[in-house]
Amino acid sequence: VKRNLLVAAAIAALALAVERSFRLEDDPIRSLVMADPVAAALFDRYQERSPFRGRIFVEMEGLPPAEQARLSETLARAGYREVPFLATPDPARLLDLASQLPAGTVERLAGEEALRGRATEILAVAALPGGGEALRQLEVDPLGVGPALLGRFLGVGKGGEGGGAPPRVFESPRPLVYAEVEKVEEALAALSPRVHYIGADFFAVENYRAVRRDVLLCSTLTLLLTLGLFLWFTRRWVLLWLLGVGSLVSYLAGVLAIRVFYAEIFAVVLVYTSTFVSFNTESLVHLSGIEEGRRARTLVGVWSAIGTTLLGMAVMLLGRSVLVRQMSIASIAGLLAFLVFLVPYRRTVDGIRFRTVPLPGWTAPRWLPAVLCGASAAGLILVGPPRVETRIDAFRYQSAALGREVDHFSRRLDAASLGDVVAVPAPGSPSEALRPLAAEGLLAWDDHPLARFQDPPAQEEALAALRARWDGARSLLARITESEGIRLELAGAPPGRILGEWDYLEILGEVGPLRWSDEAGGRRFVHAGLRRVPPDLAARGLVPLGPRTHYDLLLTDLSRQLGWLFLAGFAAMVVYLAWIQRDAARILYVFAPVLAVALGFAAWSRFTGTPLTIVHFMGFSLVIAIAVDYTAVAVSTDHGEVELSKILLTGLSAVATFGVLMLARHPILRSLGATVVAGALPSLAFALLVRLRHAPGGAR
Amino acid sequence: VIAAAAIGAMLLAAPALTPEALQARHAGARSLTADVVQTKEGRYWARPLTSHVRLRWTPGRVEWETLDPVPSTVVIEGDRVQVVSGGGSRDLGAQARDPRFAALVRFLRALAAFDLTALEGDFVLAWGPREVVATPRPGSSLSMVRKVRLVFGDDLEVRRIELESPSETTRLEFQRVERVR
Repeated sequence: VKRNLLVAAAIAALALAVERSFRLEDDPIRSLVMADPVAAALFDRYQERSPFRGRIFVEMEGLPPAEQARLSETLARAGYREVPFLATPDPARLLDLASQLPAGTVERLAGEEALRGRATEILAVAALPGGGEALRQLEVDPLGVGPALLGRFLGVGKGGEGGGAPPRVFESPRPLVYAEVEKVEEALAALSPRVHYIGADFFAVENYRAVRRDVLLCSTLTLLLTLGLFLWFTRRWVLLWLLGVGSLVSYLAGVLAIRVFYAEIFAVVLVYTSTFVSFNTESLVHLSGIEEGRRARTLVGVWSAIGTTLLGMAVMLLGRSVLVRQMSIASIAGLLAFLVFLVPYRRTVDGIRFRTVPLPGWTAPRWLPAVLCGASAAGLILVGPPRVETRIDAFRYQSAALGREVDHFSRRLDAASLGDVVAVPAPGSPSEALRPLAAEGLLAWDDHPLARFQDPPAQEEALAALRARWDGARSLLARITESEGIRLELAGAPPGRILGEWDYLEILGEVGPLRWSDEAGGRRFVHAGLRRVPPDLAARGLVPLGPRTHYDLLLTDLSRQLGWLFLAGFAAMVVYLAWIQRDAARILYVFAPVLAVALGFAAWSRFTGTPLTIVHFMGFSLVIAIAVDYTAVAVSTDHGEVELSKILLTGLSAVATFGVLMLARHPILRSLGATVVAGALPSLAFALLVRLRHAPGGAR
Repeated sequence: VIAAAAIGAMLLAAPALTPEALQARHAGARSLTADVVQTKEGRYWARPLTSHVRLRWTPGRVEWETLDPVPSTVVIEGDRVQVVSGGGSRDLGAQARDPRFAALVRFLRALAAFDLTALEGDFVLAWGPREVVATPRPGSSLSMVRKVRLVFGDDLEVRRIELESPSETTRLEFQRVERVR
């Protein structure tokens, strides 16, 4: 009673600590950060200036006004506040671009007809309730240079950037209430395709919804299947109780361990913690009911299994992906916490007995594992390294409806040459840096703001026209407004200055929604939208700023890194097992099925043209962490009947746990489940059916 | 007798001004037409400017027709703003996209429709016995408005709107309001 109370108190304390510190992050994309600090800084600053954060965008031009009003009401009820597409630019900063208006445009703005038209517009607006502030615009900018500049450089009043009317923008409520976002998404989806919508909120809610369903489904199925397996193999509830409570301890310890290093825990990592049951099953089953006469050999097998699992997880800590690190931290902490949890119950664990299952088996010669490993290695060399590539679509869930909206807005951005924006290193002038890209046809020069940059003589001409026409225009406007009973102090001509390309891009970035130049790591960059992304993007020194290309590149880079870490973990396991097993044939037996599986994956990837993704590598790490245990325990215990039955139980439990992940909606979990099942099943079959002949001289 | 008097008084008492009562009063309206006398005073006006206006509202469309002293009409339809004056009409293209102006248009649309939900997006509403005082929320694009006071009659119909901005005060007296349901 004291022991159970103590354990209950420890669990309660852990739960309290988790409850106090727990913060969930639903969108796994936010876990991704570029390793290169220059690239990361450029991307972050571009995204900060980007008007896409904390907002949703809705195109509702296709709806009649009454329906638009109803939709706006739905959005307002959910806490979305309509905000302007563009932030109000600082009028003085905008007028710094005055020299960039063509002299002809200045002449037109200063013409009597244009001035009378502008006065009519502003006086009509001023007549509206609260409209008097419009008169201030006339005071500071009598000719309307600001609106003309906005029209010329930002497309304002001409349909916005990207053609067509700009979408209406709604600021997201904080904190986000998923139930409200769901209602909004349903309302918008019901109006599609007359309405188009996009925003991070929809991804967050869809991922949340998918994860919520996956957690419920996977946890329930895992629990039921494990329950059935355990009852059949042990006919006792105590093991299940230990597994259930121990897995709760694992989960809490894993989450707390993540919290020590990270402020937020990714929801998908929480779903992943349901796989702890599988690791814990292995430890519990192999530590249970050890026969006294075989204790030494069994413990070699158990520590081989636990050690390789921990090694497999530990190398993942060296990776850069926060998501993978969180999974690794949770696994290590969870496994260690489970082992600590078992200490007070060691006598109970010792007393458990397992149903033995007679399994057919074939005793293989001692050279067979060497041949298998050699053949797999040769096969891997022959097949060659598979293509490694991870695309953002494989990393987060999106419904078909949201996918269509992504396509729609991607097309709009592509049409405006803003789909694949890159930062181009520019040691000289920005146009010199962009010219080679334009010459290759990679860049739509006409869509770039530099295409509208006026050279100094043209700027001189524009400023001269402004100075020459300003006073006359001012007098005319003063006469018009005075006749209406309005008194204005109309501003004098803006000082105007001759701009260089860098000044021009900087001002444009400040007054508009997009940054066009930046400086990082002591280097200057000019931003440009590409028509297509060249395969040698990194070799050219181009830094992707568009989320799609940026994350694809980042994930591919992380996948390669994880691949190397996987190999490092594999090597560490070989060294560890060499130290603990001290027999080459046994070590080769342990790794033979894993190498065969690796060959299988490489061949599948090469011959089907399917690239290996970051999720495959995460899966491979789990495969060697789990599957190596089967062969390690089997060969360490000389394929004893009880141990083989235990392997059957743990193997079936692992296949069940990861198998149910294949029913998940979230692509990461689905792919992870399929990879682990495909990798673990051959190892399980090998460990159960292939027995290694004893060493000559009876050494075991 | 006392009970009957109390019940009678309750029945005759004007309904209280609450968001629900106001929404119920304006719910289902298909159009509104009002004659308004507008007076503007402030920095830019040499003397108080009084104008006679006819306001017409249908869902999605607001017409602000100044009858005198200078006839002109501003039509707000969706995001589009059109000025009709002197026989010609002009679309306020660039001007309508100005964030401050877009916010003003949004406000006028909500005001004409008595759309409290939309108004609350930009304003904090304080409810008095017969008036609502709206002050812009922090960070709102409606920086050109300091305070709006809406005064209602016993029938919950709007009687007066006073709008304060940094440069002017606008007072709207609603003289005739016709609502079609």
